[in-house]
Amino acid sequence: MDDCISSDEDYYDSDRDSLHGLENEDSEIQRVPKTPSTKVITKESLLAAQKEDMRRVMDLLSLREYHARTLLIHYRWDVEKLFAVLVEKGKNHLFATAGVTMIENRSNTSSEASSMVMCDICMEEVHGNDATRVDCGHCFCNNCWTEHFIVKINEGQSRRIRCMAHKCNAICDEAVVRTLVSKRHPDLANKFDRFLLESYIEDNKRVKWCPSTPHCGNAIRVEDDEFCEVECSCGLQFCFSCLSEAHSPCSCLMWELWIKKCRDESETVNWITVHTKPCPKCHKPVEKNGGCNLVSCICGQAFCWLCGGATGREHTWSSISGHSCGRYKEESEQKAERAKRDLYRYMHYHNRYKAHTDSFKLESKLKESIQEKISISEERESMLRDFSWVNNGLSRLFRSRRVLSYSYPFAFYMFGDELFKDEMTEAEREIKQHLFEDQQQQLEANVEKLSKFLEEPFDQYTKDKVMEIRMQVINLSVITDTLCKKMYDCIENDLLGSLELGIHNIAPYKSKGIEKALELSACWNSKANTSDKYPPSDCGTSGGLSECERLTSLNSEENGCSSRKRARAEVVAGNFFDLNLPAEVVDRN
Amino acid sequence: MIDFARVQKELQECTKDIEASGIRVTPKSDSLSHLLGTIPGPISTPYEGGIFQIDITLPDGYPFEPPKMQFATKVWHPNISSQSGAICLDILKDQWSPALTLKTALLSVQALLSAPQPDDPQDAVVAQQYLRDYQTFAGTARYWTETFAKTSSLGVEEKVQKLMEMGFPEAQVRSSLEAVGWDENLALEKLCSG
Ligand SMILES: [Zn+2]
Ligand SMILES: [Zn+2]
Ligand SMILES: [Zn+2]
Ligand SMILES: [Zn+2]
Ligand SMILES: [Zn+2]
Ligand SMILES: [Zn+2]
Ligand SMILES: [Zn+2]
Repeated sequence: MDDCISSDEDYYDSDRDSLHGLENEDSEIQRVPKTPSTKVITKESLLAAQKEDMRRVMDLLSLREYHARTLLIHYRWDVEKLFAVLVEKGKNHLFATAGVTMIENRSNTSSEASSMVMCDICMEEVHGNDATRVDCGHCFCNNCWTEHFIVKINEGQSRRIRCMAHKCNAICDEAVVRTLVSKRHPDLANKFDRFLLESYIEDNKRVKWCPSTPHCGNAIRVEDDEFCEVECSCGLQFCFSCLSEAHSPCSCLMWELWIKKCRDESETVNWITVHTKPCPKCHKPVEKNGGCNLVSCICGQAFCWLCGGATGREHTWSSISGHSCGRYKEESEQKAERAKRDLYRYMHYHNRYKAHTDSFKLESKLKESIQEKISISEERESMLRDFSWVNNGLSRLFRSRRVLSYSYPFAFYMFGDELFKDEMTEAEREIKQHLFEDQQQQLEANVEKLSKFLEEPFDQYTKDKVMEIRMQVINLSVITDTLCKKMYDCIENDLLGSLELGIHNIAPYKSKGIEKALELSACWNSKANTSDKYPPSDCGTSGGLSECERLTSLNSEENGCSSRKRARAEVVAGNFFDLNLPAEVVDRN
Repeated sequence: MIDFARVQKELQECTKDIEASGIRVTPKSDSLSHLLGTIPGPISTPYEGGIFQIDITLPDGYPFEPPKMQFATKVWHPNISSQSGAICLDILKDQWSPALTLKTALLSVQALLSAPQPDDPQDAVVAQQYLRDYQTFAGTARYWTETFAKTSSLGVEEKVQKLMEMGFPEAQVRSSLEAVGWDENLALEKLCSG
C-alpha cells in the first residue's frame, strides 16, 4: 500500500492545482486552501468508493467483507455513526441489531456432509451435501435456500436477505446467495450484485444519483452538508437536498410550492373568475367595473355579478331588480377581493422572478456576443491584452441574477400567509420585509448597471473609455458579490434563523458559483486482494481492485460554507425534511 | 410454483394432531391452492365457543411467500376488518418465514384473537371501541360470535348425522361441510357432484 500513500499526496496536490485553475476570479476571493467537498461517483469508481468505507469497518473490527457491508447497509453507510454505536453500545449490540452473526464453531460441518439432513422448509430429507448451514446455525436444503433468495431478490430486498428460520434476524452470507442463485439464474445473481453495489447510493444519505435525464450514470457524494448545490460532471446543476434545479436562496419546500404554483392553471382560472363573468345572453366575458354587483354587457343585458343571472336595471343594497340573490352578501365580495389581492401579489413576485430567469437563460447567447467583442478588441488594441475582466464580470452578472431571481419566490413565501403566518406579527413582518426589500432593490439596481456596462459596444470605444468601463465592471462585480452575501446573511440570520420551524434550510452563498464536483478517481492495483472475491460484474474489468486513493474526510473549517450554517444543518439533520419532488419536476431539468 | 408436496405434508401433519390443536385445514378445491382453515375461539375471550373459518389462498411462491388469509366468518376484532375479514398480522406480511406452516400461521391468528393489538389496527372503529369502552367492545364481539360463529357449528353433529344417513362416509361428509362453510345444502350438492 506504500505506493498508494504517495499517490494520495499527488492526488491532493493536483486537486489543489485544478481548483486554483478554476479561480479565474478577481482579487476578492480569498485563496484558502480547500478541497472540494463534493465528488462525482461514476460507474467505475462506485466500487472503489464503497470498498473504501467497507475497508475502514473491516480493519477496525476484523470482519469479513460481507459482514462489513451488512453493518454499513444497516447504518446507511454512515461510518461515523456505526463507530459511535460501537463505542457506546459495544460490538454485540452493533452486530445483533444489524443481523450479523459470528459462528463460534463450525466443527460439525464435515460430519454433516456425509449424513442426511431434514429440511424444515420442504420437509424432505436431503443429503448433507445438498444443504447449507449459514452463520446463525440454521441449516436448510439448497433448493429451498435458492427459492428463498430468488423471491427476495425479485422483491428488491437484495440488501437484507434474512435467514429462513422464523424470527432469525441474521442476514445471509452474500457468497452463499451468489453461489446458489447463479447456479439456477446467472442473470439474477448479477442483479443481486448490482443491488449490493448500488446500495452505496440508494441507502446513503450523503450520496444521490445525479437527476439528469437521460441519466448520465453518475452519483454525487457530499461530505457533510446535504443542503448544498452541486454541479455534476455532466454539467447539470442541482439542489442536492431535493434534486430539483438549484434554487437557493429559496428553501426546498418554498421551491416545491413555487413550482406547483407557477404550473397551476388555477391561478389563471382564478384571474378570470375574479375579473370577468360570461354574459347570460351573449356569453361574452364581461368585466366588472367598480364595486357594484349589477353589471351590464355591451349587448345591453344587465346581470348580477354574483350569480351571473340576468336582471333588470335598478338595484338596492340587498337586491337587484327582478332578482333576489342569496349570495348578495358582503362575505362573498370580500372573498373575491382577497382572491384578487392574492393574485396581484403572486403576479408581482412572479413577474420579477420571470424577468431575471429569462435573462439568465440567455446566458450562452450573451456570452457569445461578448466573446466576439473581446476578439475584436484584442485585434484592435494591442495595449489592452487582458480582457478577463469582461468574462469575470459576465459570470458575476449571471450568478447575481440567479440569486435575484430565486429571491422573489423566497420573498413571496417569507412574507406571505402560506408558510409563516403564525411565526411573526404583522408589524414584525412589515419591518422584516422592508429590510429585505431594501437589500433586494440595491442588488437589483447594481445588477442592472453591471448588465448595462457589459452590453456596451466597447469594441468600438477608445482606450480611455474602455478603461473606464473596465473600472465600472470590476467595481460593480465586487459590489454585487458583497450585496449577495449580505442578502444571504439577512436571510439566514434575520429571516429563516428566527423561525421556530427548522425545516427551511438553504444552500449557502457561493461567491464562485455552484461547486463542480470532482471525479472520484479509482486506480487499479495489480496486487489482487485475495480476501475479497467480489465479482466485478458491473465495473467492466476483471481482477482485484484496490483503490489508491483515500477519500477525503473533510474538515468543516476548511469548507467553503459558513460554520454557522453548518451547525444549524446538523441540528436539524435528524428531522431533515425530505421532499421527493415528483418526477416531472425533476425531468424539467 | 407452489410446493404441493409440502402442502400435502402440512395437511397430513395438521390432521394428525387435530385433537390437541383444534385447528383444521381442508382443501377447498382440487388444486390445493385454495384452502379452508378452521380455528376454535380461544377460551375466556369473547370468541369462546365460536368456530371461525378462514379463507386461505396460496401464492405461487408458497412457502417462500406468505399465504393469504382472510376471515370468512364475521368477527369483531381490532385487527380484523369487520367488513372484509382482512387480517393485520405481521407474520402474514413482512415477518413471514418459510419455516412457518399453515398450522403455525393459524395458531398465530388464534393467538391474535386472545391478544388484540389495538395500536396497529386493521379496523379503526373496532380499535377505538376496544381502547375507549372495553365493555361495549366485549359485548359486541360476543354477540358477533353468537350470531356468526355458532349458528352453523351448533347443529354440526346433526348435519353430519343427516348426511351420513343419506349414505355418504363420515370423513367425506365432514370435509364437505367444512369446505362450504357448514351449509348442509351446499355440502349435499358437493357430495352428489362427487
Ligand atoms: Zn428444503
Ligand atoms: Zn438463522
Ligand atoms: Zn450528471
Ligand atoms: Zn432543494
Ligand atoms: Zn352580452
Ligand atoms: Zn350596486
Ligand atoms: Zn344574484
